Amino acid sequence: MITRPPLAMMEPSGSRSAKPPAKPNILKTLLTIQQANGHVPIDSVPHIAHSLGVTEADVAGVLSYYPDLRTNAPGRHVVRVCMGESCIANHCDRVLQAVDEYVGHLNCEPGRALRYTVEKTSCMGNCALSPTVSIDDDVHGRVTPGNIATLLEPYR
Amino acid sequence: MTIARLYLSNDTSSKAAGADRLAELLEARPDVQLVRTSSRGAFYLEPMIERDGPNGRLVWPRVTAGDLTSLLEGRGGKPIDEIPYLAQQTRATFSNFGITEPLALDEYQARGGFKGLEAAMALAPESIVQELRISQLRGRGGAAFPVWNKWEAARQADAEEKYIVVNADEGDAGTYCDRMILEGDPFRLIEGVLICAHTIGATKGYIYCRQEYPAAARTVRTAIQKADEAELLEVDGRTFSIEVISGAGSYVCGEETALLESLEGRRGVVRAKPPYPAVSGLFGRPTVVSNVLTFATVPNILARGGAWHASLGTERSRGTIPLQIGGRVKQPGLVEIPFGMTLRQVLEKFGGGMADGATFKAVQVGGPLGSLFPESRLDIPICYDAFSDAGAILGHGGIVVYDDRTEMVALARHFMAFTAEESCGKCTPCRIGSVRAREVLDAILGGRGSQEDLALLADLGDTMKATSLCALGGRAPYPVMTAIEHFSEEFTRRLPG
Repeated sequence: MITRPPLAMMEPSGSRSAKPPAKPNILKTLLTIQQANGHVPIDSVPHIAHSLGVTEADVAGVLSYYPDLRTNAPGRHVVRVCMGESCIANHCDRVLQAVDEYVGHLNCEPGRALRYTVEKTSCMGNCALSPTVSIDDDVHGRVTPGNIATLLEPYR
Repeated sequence: MTIARLYLSNDTSSKAAGADRLAELLEARPDVQLVRTSSRGAFYLEPMIERDGPNGRLVWPRVTAGDLTSLLEGRGGKPIDEIPYLAQQTRATFSNFGITEPLALDEYQARGGFKGLEAAMALAPESIVQELRISQLRGRGGAAFPVWNKWEAARQADAEEKYIVVNADEGDAGTYCDRMILEGDPFRLIEGVLICAHTIGATKGYIYCRQEYPAAARTVRTAIQKADEAELLEVDGRTFSIEVISGAGSYVCGEETALLESLEGRRGVVRAKPPYPAVSGLFGRPTVVSNVLTFATVPNILARGGAWHASLGTERSRGTIPLQIGGRVKQPGLVEIPFGMTLRQVLEKFGGGMADGATFKAVQVGGPLGSLFPESRLDIPICYDAFSDAGAILGHGGIVVYDDRTEMVALARHFMAFTAEESCGKCTPCRIGSVRAREVLDAILGGRGSQEDLALLADLGDTMKATSLCALGGRAPYPVMTAIEHFSEEFTRRLPG
């Protein structure tokens, strides 16, 4: 019996397509760096370009195009407030305001890295439980301005 | 000790409603066996716990920690078929939801899974295309292009390599049916992809999954691995591998050619068509690109026959559509029904009316590029043609209801700002038009607008509709112009003097 090797998935060079793409995949490379490092420092662009054999403009172009690629280190926790239409219909502007107020106060801890990075995001697909706020990988639904403090507090 | 077998959904939205907190409490108990299933989609009832009853499952909705004692004693459960929201649906693609464990391959097979693939493997590729033609399945991602047509073009294309790309970049706000399939019934998607691979002779598959769906990507990756271990990823004697690729937050990458650019690692800039992807797609090879729901609809068509699918729905919109009802309604959630019910009926029957204290103002169908409907226009049937005749789109089946506290000028400004932000920049009408329209709406919102500005918006809108390269620019004016059409007083009120 011939045993087949397990599927190689997500490794940039592990793809089993009969003919691998000739050109390097810039987006995949940047996402891998961000996953390891938290962000892609802008001054690493020449190095990335050189190692991929593409121009700096190619790399900078991809880096600036995608909203999820960041060039600065985020805070210890990333808080995303959903701005999708279902959340807008459920008046998420008040939730965003409450998050900003709470975080603005806590982000002033002297001598420590930023505790929270707050971002507005487009639809997270949690529309039946609008308004939605995610903290790191946790998605929270039916959020009200009143429960923001309870929600954020455990993320230290 | 009797052990109670309880079912609790593991869907992201169920977790967002508090399912994991209940799971923690239940897993600590020796008298409970907890099964984490997919969600039935009745999210207004989540977190919901089910138990086996004498005639099917019993349901405890909106469970809190305080309810667990009575639940474990078996008190207060309601038979699942007494919930009208669920009983009035026609579940085909979503028939397993709430019932099975998403990654239990044996459960999927026990409920008819891989029967469609089995049927397909016994057919010649031409006959599968013919079956799809009979089914009259149209692409469920938004453009509603006949699926058989795409598959036939790719099948006939002569190339050493052909690809299948699953568009899991479900970016339309108000929609989540693709996320639910990826998280809740991933083998159905894999089965649809394998049927397509056999039909067109594809050599490799990709699932382009948006970054906002980490649980979906994880689940479908595990499902692929399990299918591989079960030696199911074999098509015509070859191993057919499927790779999951992560997106990076760009809305326009849901457009098929921008998605292909992104898959190749570049900026997600739209390509001019033709050539269509079925002829020249990923890496210039013939590629079938369809969304998750479309592929997941295919297995039933092969298992039950194209005629079965064609027997549901309306004249030119056959089959069922999962609608995702959200916004300010009482009962938000996913509802799978045949095409044909009116928007008003859907909102009343399933939406359950407005959320407490809210008054209806408008409903938007089809995501951020969808038209707005006021109360007077709700009698439109849910089908592709009625919507296209009305200058609207069904899109991905998202329905968002706005209440009377929504300011239409601010909402219109939000729509245009979204397009300006997400435009890929390739074509001028979208790149410049969306920014200019946002500026004009900013002026009106700030009390600095004029009658001429409204005329300018209409003019810009006409240009964007007629000359944009893809649907982002082409559809962006619709929500804005329908807001002006149906709520003109809110706009003119803000004009000075």
